[in-house]
Amino acid sequence: MSALELRDVVKHYPSGAEVVNAVDGVSLTISAGEFVALYGPSGSGKTTLLLLSAGLLAPDAGSIRFDGREISSLNATESAAYRLRDVGFVFQTFHLIAGASALDNAAIKLLGHGLSLREARRRAQPWLERVGLGARAEHTPDRLSMGERQRVAIARALVNEPRLLLADEPTGNLDSRRSRQTLELLRDICHERQTPGLLVTHDPQASQLVDRVHTLRDGRLRDGLDPDLATTSAG
Amino acid sequence: MMHKPTVLGVRPSALIDLYRWRLKDHKVQELFAGMGIATGVALLFGVLVANTSIISSASDLVHAVTGSARMALVARSSDGIDERLATRVGHLPGVRVASPVLREDAAIVGPKGRQLIQLLGVTASLVALDTVATKNLGAGTSLLTGGVGLSSSVAATIGADTGASVELLASGDSRRALVRAVLPEQIVGPVAGSPIVLALLPVAQKLTGRTRRVTQVLVEPRPGQDARVERELRELAGGRLDVVPADRELALLSQASRPTSQSTTLFAAISAMVGFLLALNAMLLTVPERRRFVAELRTQGFGPSQVLLILGSQAAILGIVASLVGVAAGSVLSHTLFREIPSYLTFAFPIGSHQVVHATTVLLAAGCGVLAALLAALPPTFDMNPRRPVDAVLHEQGEAGHGIGKGSIVGLGTIGLTLLAAVTIVVYAVPSLTIVGGVLLALAAVCLIPGVFALTGSVIGPVSERLRGSMLALAVVELRATATRSVALASVAALAVYGSVAIQGARHDLTTGLNAAITQYLGTADVWVSTGENVFTTDRFFARDSVEKIARTRGVASVRVYQGGLLDVGTRRLWIRARPARDSAMIQSSQMIEGNLARATRLLRGGGWAVVSDGFADEHDLRVGSRFALPTPSGPTQLGVAAVTTNVGWPAGAITLLRGDFRRAWQTDDPAALEINLRAGVTPEQGVRAVKAALGSRPGLAVQTRRQREAQFKANAKQALRGLGQISTLLVLVAALSVAFALSAAIWQRRDRLASLKSQGFDSRQLWRSLLLESGIVLGIGCADGAVFGLYGHMLASRWLKLATGFPAPFSLDLAQVLSTLLLVGGIALTVVAIPGLSAARVSPRASFEE
Repeated sequence: MSALELRDVVKHYPSGAEVVNAVDGVSLTISAGEFVALYGPSGSGKTTLLLLSAGLLAPDAGSIRFDGREISSLNATESAAYRLRDVGFVFQTFHLIAGASALDNAAIKLLGHGLSLREARRRAQPWLERVGLGARAEHTPDRLSMGERQRVAIARALVNEPRLLLADEPTGNLDSRRSRQTLELLRDICHERQTPGLLVTHDPQASQLVDRVHTLRDGRLRDGLDPDLATTSAG
Repeated sequence: MMHKPTVLGVRPSALIDLYRWRLKDHKVQELFAGMGIATGVALLFGVLVANTSIISSASDLVHAVTGSARMALVARSSDGIDERLATRVGHLPGVRVASPVLREDAAIVGPKGRQLIQLLGVTASLVALDTVATKNLGAGTSLLTGGVGLSSSVAATIGADTGASVELLASGDSRRALVRAVLPEQIVGPVAGSPIVLALLPVAQKLTGRTRRVTQVLVEPRPGQDARVERELRELAGGRLDVVPADRELALLSQASRPTSQSTTLFAAISAMVGFLLALNAMLLTVPERRRFVAELRTQGFGPSQVLLILGSQAAILGIVASLVGVAAGSVLSHTLFREIPSYLTFAFPIGSHQVVHATTVLLAAGCGVLAALLAALPPTFDMNPRRPVDAVLHEQGEAGHGIGKGSIVGLGTIGLTLLAAVTIVVYAVPSLTIVGGVLLALAAVCLIPGVFALTGSVIGPVSERLRGSMLALAVVELRATATRSVALASVAALAVYGSVAIQGARHDLTTGLNAAITQYLGTADVWVSTGENVFTTDRFFARDSVEKIARTRGVASVRVYQGGLLDVGTRRLWIRARPARDSAMIQSSQMIEGNLARATRLLRGGGWAVVSDGFADEHDLRVGSRFALPTPSGPTQLGVAAVTTNVGWPAGAITLLRGDFRRAWQTDDPAALEINLRAGVTPEQGVRAVKAALGSRPGLAVQTRRQREAQFKANAKQALRGLGQISTLLVLVAALSVAFALSAAIWQRRDRLASLKSQGFDSRQLWRSLLLESGIVLGIGCADGAVFGLYGHMLASRWLKLATGFPAPFSLDLAQVLSTLLLVGGIALTVVAIPGLSAARVSPRASFEE
């Protein structure tokens, strides 16, 4: 079973004369089928942790393993292959191609796998249906609601049947009802497919929908949601 | 409290502030849009200035010499008329001033070189006409006493200063003259920039050997006496001289330069279209962002008219600034690349080299630039549909509105096909409308691009869907997503390729036709003796005993006198060619349009018949067998039409007749050339040496082998057409670079999406390949559409050259030229795109995250 394991991960950034501890000795394990939320104020290092998990950044110290394989030492090509085959990404801004259909947008990632567009579409169709957009597969993004666009982005993230799901503020542009639906969908997929999932969010609803909550503050990880964040978010 | 003025409730200063903020935030987009507009304006302005300068500078020159004269009594030959006639004109009761002038085409040689000039012999009476050319020459035109005055441009070209001795070659003879003055613009106005040498009449007569002769008398009638003076002048002329408006030269030049002018007008129109499309492209890049800006303004309570005002003012500011830059750049172009005057015109008309810029030209070019900016700024206003929520666009994302609906594709396609059909019908019915047809054809080419784009997508799409591991599918998806922009880019490429293929093709046909004409025209002799520079062989010279001397020369089989000149008939300055009956060919068979070659040759040799070019024939409703009266120095000469030919390379047309007929009508034996055939075994070079030796010292005469004369003629034709080639190449280069920059900018704007693709695992090479494929498809569509329409345009242009202008231009496909144009556009654009494309493809995947 797949699992993401971070051990004593450190990542510092120079900022003028100072050094910012974006991630400071974080250890975190996300087991198969577990959907974990990571809260934190802006600049706390949440996205850095996500980038480290995706192999887009190398840590200054510590180890990041996925499925027993060390991620932190991958070169650029290996890292790209890891994301292409093992990771599914959901972004806050959906990065959809405006004039392309929902189906084409969902299928696009598979072109990097060497599939033809026809094959890619065939593989993407069930995922669009899974996110409730089967009937709107030929609609272009400008004819979809914000929630529907996010679901297309989710279908795109899942189309390669990833073994790790990473989501960066996926509900940042959605209203409360659609946020809840999106988070439930991501959770259900993690559970069904036994995929570990890491969710970076400010959304207060997430704490009730995920399996586990952590807070990152000044690069340090704490269990649970900090009360001030819960208040701010809720309020 | 004083209220500050507002427009629709917005202060003008606020409009400027809004634009200042926009500029601060969107420097690159504004710079790019400005560059697009400036490029189009520069091309348009450069071509317009080049186009109008020939006529305008000639007009300045003619008026500088004619002053207040309103009519002229003009000789029909360079031999001129007796100067006493000018005195008789002066004594006519209705005449206020009559000023005799001797004009002679000559060459002048100085320390640094030689130049073809027109020697202008004038008298102090010209001052009475208040001519710019003479009014500052001192009392009694004292500045010229005892020598010649060189215009400053001639002085600079031949390197002669005041006090220098120069050589003047006229009528085959060489004479030395003292430079009395170098005449700058302050003294002689536009004459300073012209190939003109001024002298007092007696000096000019001596230098040209035309004692007591003048070629025209400029006349200023007393007020209200014009009709009476004209009548009296006609009586004096007795059918042997022309009575014409003083500035008739301009009508003649306008007719002769019409093909050049029309072809550059076509380029000007294409340049304007390219400029508009470049501006549109640049503006399209900013559409998503400007749509959001409009939505924000409306959300804040701005009314639709205020939004229009803000967008309009921003577009106007951009348009004005970019147009001014374009005018400046166009001015540089017109002073450098487009400066050259077709040399064939300079043999028949004194044309100044100075550029004339009219305020209307500046306004037209700048106006097009501002209009392009305003039109291109329109798309965001489409959101102001009252039924749409004001902030609807704020909830959209990406580049919505860049797709093209089926309705638009079908509509534009229908317009394109209708235009194509209309152009075909109209141009075939009325060939003179080909230039207008050419512009409409360009429009049709653009209208059909969305259809070609959709068609390409439907062909490549299914293929790309089946290909494994190819980035073609991604490229096709992206192309569909940005259809409007891609279509606009393809349109720029199409227009450039269309213009280049059509014009270069026609140029190729014309060169082929002219070369064939030249080879046949000169093919009758092994060695030619003429005054040299003038390839049309219209300058006659004093033969003296040279014919007999050459005939006695060893190695010479025969010598024949060829005569010719220019003759003004109506608005045409005709090329008159008088061939000796013993010439092996009297008519250039390759130029025949109507008539039987053998019969026409027989008629011509018999005398009383002529071969006329079709423009002249059409104008006078002449057919083979018709008779017409040619106004010659001895009066109207009746001739029959033996055949109709092309204009044999001279736009105004030509008439070929028997030398004997010419001699009688022009009352001269002076040859324009000697045609010499050599005995078998004598090489042309040996022949040239022998003829030179026989002629002795005649520096005013050039002895050339047939090949040398042919090469000179062909070089002249090539020079005349070089301008078109340069404009065409520049258009292609500018369009290729502009398309490349527009593509690059579009790719650069897409970095966030590229970053997201990379964070999903695509590598840089895959994305780069996709970007190159996408760019290649856009260029391919544009180039293919442009090439197909360009070939059709080429066909129509060749037909126009033949039927409307009378030039020899047999249609032939020049695939090498088409390919080189396609390679130039495609190669440059893809090479330029490859660099920012690679850079964009290497964007960090982290750029897709927002902390």
